[in-house]
Amino acid sequence: MASVAARDAVFDALADPTRRQVLTLIGEHGEATASALARELPVSRQAIQKHLSSLAAAGLVAAKREGREVRYRLTPAPMSDAVSWMASVGGQWDSRLAALARHLGG
Amino acid sequence: MQQPAPAESVEREVVVRASPEETWRALTDPDELREWLAEEAELDLRPGGELGVRIDGETREGFIEEVSEPAADEAGRLAFWWGEPGSELSRVEIELTEVDAGTRVRVIEAQPLVTVETIVIGEIGPDFGGAAPQMSALSIVG
Repeated sequence: MASVAARDAVFDALADPTRRQVLTLIGEHGEATASALARELPVSRQAIQKHLSSLAAAGLVAAKREGREVRYRLTPAPMSDAVSWMASVGGQWDSRLAALARHLGG
Repeated sequence: MQQPAPAESVEREVVVRASPEETWRALTDPDELREWLAEEAELDLRPGGELGVRIDGETREGFIEEVSEPAADEAGRLAFWWGEPGSELSRVEIELTEVDAGTRVRVIEAQPLVTVETIVIGEIGPDFGGAAPQMSALSIVG
């Protein structure tokens, strides 16, 4: 499992609705530039660029320069962190509830 | 604009051979919690009350949000926020419903997206004032 700091960065990045829309759009298009995203969302290109920087810092998107353009695509790895959180917390409750059932004579 | 979906959460349930009242006590009485769950357990059982437990050597602290003891025709519900000291809190809701075989215990723990600082310093406040913090969505998945 990745570090708590890395997981915090992912959750912080995902906490913002515009950043989630940015991720959704990049996912739909495969890859996208800040200008292309700004055309589809009601925010400025500068704002999109800031969101892309936070998403890149959290490891959720990767940038690739092509000529004068920077194209962004999704990196799937950090999402599995959310999945591993669910597996770990689910496993903890499985054993806690089993202990509760034993305690109560179930 | 699309509305955020509910946060990702984990849901588990078990049926125990005990009454809702006995099950409630097992979940809320610190002495009984020490028998099956935690090495240490302390809780101030009222909305806004603090809780602290140590489970398998790991400390968790937080606040109680809702305390509804099970009654004749009503399910019991305990909701609280907890997390390791200095880290984000996640919300846990435990519901107790009477069934033929005993009591169904349903637990939902939501993914932590609220920091301790937000709850302690921010507009939410430890007494919650009836309004639990909004959990943000992870609607990009799938």
